[in-house]
Amino acid sequence: MTKAPQVLTEFFWLEQLPRIEAYVARGGYEALKKALAQMKPDEVHDEVRKAGLRGRGGAGFPAGVKWGFIPKGTDKPKYLCVNADEGEPGTFKDRSILSHDPHLLIEGIVLTSYAVGIHAAYVYIRGEYEMIARRLEGAIDEARRAGFLGRNIFGSGFDLEIVVHRGAGAYVCGEETALLESLEGKRGNPRLKPPFPAAVGLFQCPTVINNVETLANVPFIIRNGAPWFLDLGVPKDGGTRIFGVSGAVAKPGLYELPSGTSLREIIFTHAGGIKDGRKLKAVIPGGMSSPILRADEIDVHMDVDSVAAAGSMLGSGGIIVIADGTPILQVLRKVAAFYAHESCGQCTPCRLGTSWIHKTVERMAAGRGQAGDVDALLRLAANIQGRTLCPLGDAAAMPVAAIARKFRTELESGLDRAGVRP
Amino acid sequence: MIKLFIDGAAVEVPEGTTVFKAAEQAGIALPHFCFHPAFAPEGTCRLCLVQIEGSPKLELSCSTVIREGMKVVTQSPAVGEARRGVLEFLLAEHPLDCPICDKAGECKLQDYSRDYGLTESAFREFKEKRDKKVAIGEKLLLDRERCIQCTRCVRFLAEVTKTHELGVFERGVRTEIGILDGVPVQNGYSGNLVDLCPVGAITDTDFRFKTRPWFLSRAESVCPHCGRGCNIYVDYHPGLPRVPGSAKVFRIRPRTNEAVNGPWICDVGRYGYVRAQNAGRSDRPFWNKDGAKTELGWDTAMAILGDKLRALVDAGRADRVAVAATSWLTNEELFLVKKIFRDDFGSGRIVLCDPRPGEGDDFLRRPDRTPNARGARELGFDPAPPALEALARGTEVLILFGPHIAEHFRPAELRAALDGIAVKVLVTPHLTGLEGLMDGVLASATPAEKDGSFTNFEGRVQPFAAAARPCPDVRSELEILAALAGSLGLRPDYYGRLTTAAAVRRELAKEIPFFGARA
Repeated sequence: MTKAPQVLTEFFWLEQLPRIEAYVARGGYEALKKALAQMKPDEVHDEVRKAGLRGRGGAGFPAGVKWGFIPKGTDKPKYLCVNADEGEPGTFKDRSILSHDPHLLIEGIVLTSYAVGIHAAYVYIRGEYEMIARRLEGAIDEARRAGFLGRNIFGSGFDLEIVVHRGAGAYVCGEETALLESLEGKRGNPRLKPPFPAAVGLFQCPTVINNVETLANVPFIIRNGAPWFLDLGVPKDGGTRIFGVSGAVAKPGLYELPSGTSLREIIFTHAGGIKDGRKLKAVIPGGMSSPILRADEIDVHMDVDSVAAAGSMLGSGGIIVIADGTPILQVLRKVAAFYAHESCGQCTPCRLGTSWIHKTVERMAAGRGQAGDVDALLRLAANIQGRTLCPLGDAAAMPVAAIARKFRTELESGLDRAGVRP
Repeated sequence: MIKLFIDGAAVEVPEGTTVFKAAEQAGIALPHFCFHPAFAPEGTCRLCLVQIEGSPKLELSCSTVIREGMKVVTQSPAVGEARRGVLEFLLAEHPLDCPICDKAGECKLQDYSRDYGLTESAFREFKEKRDKKVAIGEKLLLDRERCIQCTRCVRFLAEVTKTHELGVFERGVRTEIGILDGVPVQNGYSGNLVDLCPVGAITDTDFRFKTRPWFLSRAESVCPHCGRGCNIYVDYHPGLPRVPGSAKVFRIRPRTNEAVNGPWICDVGRYGYVRAQNAGRSDRPFWNKDGAKTELGWDTAMAILGDKLRALVDAGRADRVAVAATSWLTNEELFLVKKIFRDDFGSGRIVLCDPRPGEGDDFLRRPDRTPNARGARELGFDPAPPALEALARGTEVLILFGPHIAEHFRPAELRAALDGIAVKVLVTPHLTGLEGLMDGVLASATPAEKDGSFTNFEGRVQPFAAAARPCPDVRSELEILAALAGSLGLRPDYYGRLTTAAAVRRELAKEIPFFGARA
């Protein structure tokens, strides 16, 4: 096995990396210097577009295309919102970038802002990441003192300020329009679309919203060029991904691997296989909302399109490994409880559907399951999916439907049996 | 104009119209909870979904803007299934307490459940227990089990009154409506929340448990409580009389008129009916004779007044009659007052005596406390309160319409001035104490009990018809005036025609250009 190329995480071992001196010493802010000195904003944008950088937050939308939706020649201010509200269960990659290498994110933010013509960026960070938020704020201060932020960056005439805003603990605020509402000081309810944030976003102005890992890739694309980046991954999904592997593996943790690496390889080669000599039962490949894969379905390449073709979702790249011996009902309980708890409650199918599913699953777990419960779950999931105001409904329905469909026998065999471990 | 197809039929609507409104124009009513024409689309109830050709998912009709050539399907198996799904979710956590719910009979959840044939539930779980009786405003009670989270109430208070008393608390299935900062809804427009609520979550303590909507008949009317002239419905019970022969009014609701009041009315107009219709009414005429009050039948009372007036006419002192009208009267009634007493009796003492103005606001409420001040002005009445002495000096018969003169003068002053007048008659729907100074009282109808028209402060002449029936010995001022003209034998060829509001209104339009231009 050849050593996988490390890009984002290459210097994570360096204890002083969060300090600006260490970041600059290993080549940090070179891409920014290069872009501001030699490239026009459109050239930066083009490079990212050509690099096939897909969003790392979950939906996998091409970042360069997204930036292109910002209306040209608008007289309104434009904003960049950095989605650091990492809340998808099984996902812990953005925190590693934020805590190990905050300047990498800052450089990505400045480059992106330069490309789109933005002078104010907001980092919406999960409230629980308090230590990380402070570290990021420290890094922002360092960058400002060094002249990498603020007015007239590197004498280029380009200005940018970054504000860190802490979330208050709602999963739904990771949904981009709920994030905007929350940032505006309102209740974090997703907005009705259209209009889309690129046209009417933060404070009613054109807004780009990108995930932390997405932006962290931008400096490398500018430094090494789009062909280099594309070459790392697969044709429509360039670069590497930081996969977070958790659950029943021997070596859980973060693995930066090329887009398109096989799921089997990630689990069995990199993460050391299933722990304690157990057998693989199932994998949730891209954060909790992605449909579950059975043990025989893991020969799938982990890039956006391949996982979608396999009937699941690359999502945030949070891989949750489930071994034999874990009742699938327990997995289902976690899924059902989470989305019932996190539904914002504004639209009918999600508010009441997630709760109904949760109540049914809890009844099954309490040993009071009835014939037809699994079909009921499938029907309820179908009544939610595609009919809600924001993607949270789909995120809640998809994993339930997949578990009910793929593990029907196990779920039904337990229906008449009381006392599943609480 | 943009052409699109809804259920196969071509529809042409202006650019920017939503699918919902285009369908409405084509005569197709789409089910909805959160959408309300006064607010921006919310898109949360998910009931108005339709199929649009070329779209992979069902789309919201309330927020989707039409495009040229768009093909919309409002009824299909997929659409029906989605709507049934939404209703099934709502009903799962709904208490289904329709038998004791005030909204039953006019509840959208009930109607749609019937439309989509939902009679059985697959819900096997326990329903959430929630507060059933939360006081959120002076007359408002919130039942959180019935609430379907359409947030119309919250948006009304945020967008229309801008008072923000209500908010959404918690999330998911625990989501609930509540008052922010403990300040209840008390902004003068709170009753609109009851109309806005598509289910029985917000009920009105004034209406609660009093009757059932299906017992009520609905009449179109105009609110008489200020010069705005908000268009209203008077909901009355045709079979449950206040006293034999009358109809009982149970509630007032707004009737949408974008040019006047939109879909709203204020609380004064909404709850004013309690006093206007029921409290302190004069139900029968009476005559004070030697300090004793004698109740009379209608005909007897009119005969007495007729005799007194005829005596003046016969004595050649017809101009010794004085009349204080009020802009509570309709345009038609005020016109007859002028015609009869100024033109035929030749009296120079025809004045207007209105209640003192109160406070208005920057929304609907006007400072004037009568419905027809503008109409009175157009008919030549001076809005200033009359000089008491000028009104009383040499007067032999005084006819007061409404008791408002008592607001302008101290009792002793009033008593002294009126003492010298031989015959004093009060025509009023309400007894306020002034009747003690009078010789006779004729019980008259309230605006909800008569036909006529009011001219609102902007000069809009708004006709209306009687909603409720008054008590048997009560007549409208128009009937009283027409009867007087008849019994006195005044110009029969002229007054003989003017016995209905519509006939007087035609005459009014003919004789006075202001009304002619608005007929």
